[in-house]
Amino acid sequence: MLFNSIDFAVFLPIVFLLYWFVTQSNLKLQNLLLVAASYIFYGWWDWRFLSLIIFSSLIDYFIGVVLLKENNPAKRKGLLWLSIVVNLGFLGFFKYYNFFADNFTKAFSFFGNEISANSLNIILPVGISFYTFQTLSYTIDVYNRKMEPTKDIISFLAFVSFFPQLVAGPIERAANLLPQFYKKRIFHFSKAVDGSRQILWGFFKKIVIADNCAEYANLIFNNADDYSGSTLVIGAVFFTFQIYADFSGYSDIAIGTSRLFGFDLKQNFAFPYFSRDIAEFWRRWHISLSTWFRDYLYIPLGGSKGPLKMKVRNIFIIFIVSGFWHGANWTFIFWGFLNALYFLPLLLKNRNRHHLGIVAQHTNLPSIREFFAMSLTFGLTVFAWIFFRSPSISDAFSFIKNIFTKSLFQIPEIRPSYLILLIGCFIFIEWVGRTQKYALEKLLLNKPMALRWAFYMLLIACIFIFSSNEQEFIYFQF
Amino acid sequence: MKKFIKHSVLFFVIFFIAEKSAYFISNASEREYDKRLEYVINGKMNKDLIILGSSIGASNILAGQIENETGLTAYNLSYPGSNVLFHEFILKSLLKFNNSPKTIILTIDNPSEFIEEKTLKYRSDRLYPLAKYNYINNELINQNEKNFMSKLFCLARLNTSVFKFDKIKTPIENPIDSSGSMPFIKKTSTIEMEFLEEVKGYTIKFELKEKLRAFKSIQKLCADNNIQLIFVFSPNYQKFNAAFEKRFQQLMLDENKIMVYDTLNPIYKNKDFYYDVSHLMKNGASIFTAEISTFIKTN
Repeated sequence: MLFNSIDFAVFLPIVFLLYWFVTQSNLKLQNLLLVAASYIFYGWWDWRFLSLIIFSSLIDYFIGVVLLKENNPAKRKGLLWLSIVVNLGFLGFFKYYNFFADNFTKAFSFFGNEISANSLNIILPVGISFYTFQTLSYTIDVYNRKMEPTKDIISFLAFVSFFPQLVAGPIERAANLLPQFYKKRIFHFSKAVDGSRQILWGFFKKIVIADNCAEYANLIFNNADDYSGSTLVIGAVFFTFQIYADFSGYSDIAIGTSRLFGFDLKQNFAFPYFSRDIAEFWRRWHISLSTWFRDYLYIPLGGSKGPLKMKVRNIFIIFIVSGFWHGANWTFIFWGFLNALYFLPLLLKNRNRHHLGIVAQHTNLPSIREFFAMSLTFGLTVFAWIFFRSPSISDAFSFIKNIFTKSLFQIPEIRPSYLILLIGCFIFIEWVGRTQKYALEKLLLNKPMALRWAFYMLLIACIFIFSSNEQEFIYFQF
Repeated sequence: MKKFIKHSVLFFVIFFIAEKSAYFISNASEREYDKRLEYVINGKMNKDLIILGSSIGASNILAGQIENETGLTAYNLSYPGSNVLFHEFILKSLLKFNNSPKTIILTIDNPSEFIEEKTLKYRSDRLYPLAKYNYINNELINQNEKNFMSKLFCLARLNTSVFKFDKIKTPIENPIDSSGSMPFIKKTSTIEMEFLEEVKGYTIKFELKEKLRAFKSIQKLCADNNIQLIFVFSPNYQKFNAAFEKRFQQLMLDENKIMVYDTLNPIYKNKDFYYDVSHLMKNGASIFTAEISTFIKTN
């Protein structure tokens, strides 16, 4: 089920009312309702893949239970590997089988050995990359004795399948989300209002900004040979805003919806396009994934400790794996590699933790230095997104080659003024709210209610006017 | 909880009432230069003969001239860039809101009538400015361009065209005349043309089921309403594609008629009469229209 669908507009109020009015007195029943609602939400897309989530959840639940009693290190390690193999096995099969089969075939034929590997017509289960990582983190934490395994199977099923964040994150850690299922949730007016506000902002980002940018970005990327260099730059910038508004919009809707049900999810985006260097960008972009890789890959590899050579190796590994997580295509791997290259100078100069605070925190405008730092980081990010968006590496290079021609200085053929104006307003609101968890969190809160409501109605009006078809969220494919 | 529900309901009630004011700003149709579709749905299109088609029909057939030469009242409802699915919609709309015409002329895009062609599409953009009409809004919903929320909310009927406040400019090269035709009256750019003596064959496997269905539907609608249907093949600055015509004849019903331009007429090999490969200048359109008038009078 898509958030931006009529189905969800009907589904959410029904679950909300059942949750707070029918099942509130019984915690178990309330959790059971969440499990059922989550399975309906997921099954709406394709009920067959529900078995995958249920199987994956049960495996990790029982491994957790056994790990609690098991003290033999070898057996404990065996159980951990069982969970890793099962979870990554599913992920590998559904997401990467064809990629590896094709590349092995090509590699063999390059060396003169013709082999035929069967490509399978595999449907990628929506959200598999997200819930696999979520359930995997539980087993690893239990194995490392960082948390107690749960004995409450309903809570565990609800934790893995919690519908607001099931298909595109944020990837929650068991230590944060699971205990929230054990406690009775109490309805707070302010929390629900805040959640509704975040949902509204998420829809605005997705429907008004992302979907409208997508229309032009698709047009330009799909016909790159027909456009001038300046138009290709516009296309890359539109995609830059599309992917941010799409994915962070989803996160906002997920976090806001969770708050309606009394849950707190972690912030997933912290205004990444206002970053002053790439290290800061990666602390602000898809935070739940970045921290997952940091905790479960980067640190076990040695992290930033040890000799420089090892640090550099670890950085490249984490970025390339992160790229590969996004999809089975060399473009994503190259995108990860490019970000590692961007990161390298900061690591070598030991400046990768230079910008930990919020830009221009106590002023309205950034300094000239900050402005140039933000612009440079934004420019590098736009460049990297070209690889992410292109269907192949050669297409990406051809796109870039076509940018750097005389036509770069022509007036772009595509320049939708309404969209440029909308993006301008969007950047302004995001800038004003950059010290909050999401841009609308405190915006106009000290103003009269009538003004605040008028503003919210204006946002809804924009959602109506600028909506087209129901467009899937980009990160569903990952 | 009660407070939250009370606030939510109040918010949506106020929004629901306030958003109705959007009806008054949805005046996109008033700024439209091409008002032909609005005439259709307002029942102002009661003519003896209607021309349907894409830009070929719009520019190469002069409805006013047919009126003068045949004595039938005629109007051109061809839309540049439109495909057979859109022609079907125009015909359905015409029949729903107006008296049935005696004759329909359907201009055929040779050879791309039934195959995928980037430049020919369902012209939803022509419907957006008229979304305030329920009939048009329902069609936009059918086309998946709008969802059913647009039945409840006026705002959901608006789109970006509402915010283009300047009046849509009259095309300089081919303005719409009083009979709905769009003949090319001048060339603003020079297009180098070579007469193509060889044309590609025609492959059935590229035909789209949806387009074949729409074509069948047009024939059925005409048959059900006792309308004489004439298919017209307009001149191109290239050799006539007979392979497509042969296929076309397999798909047309016997009671309908087909009119192909006079392929031996040397005028159609003179590039001065053409705007580009498929579109005639007004003087060329006039010669071709005279052929059509003669065909109507003799059939």
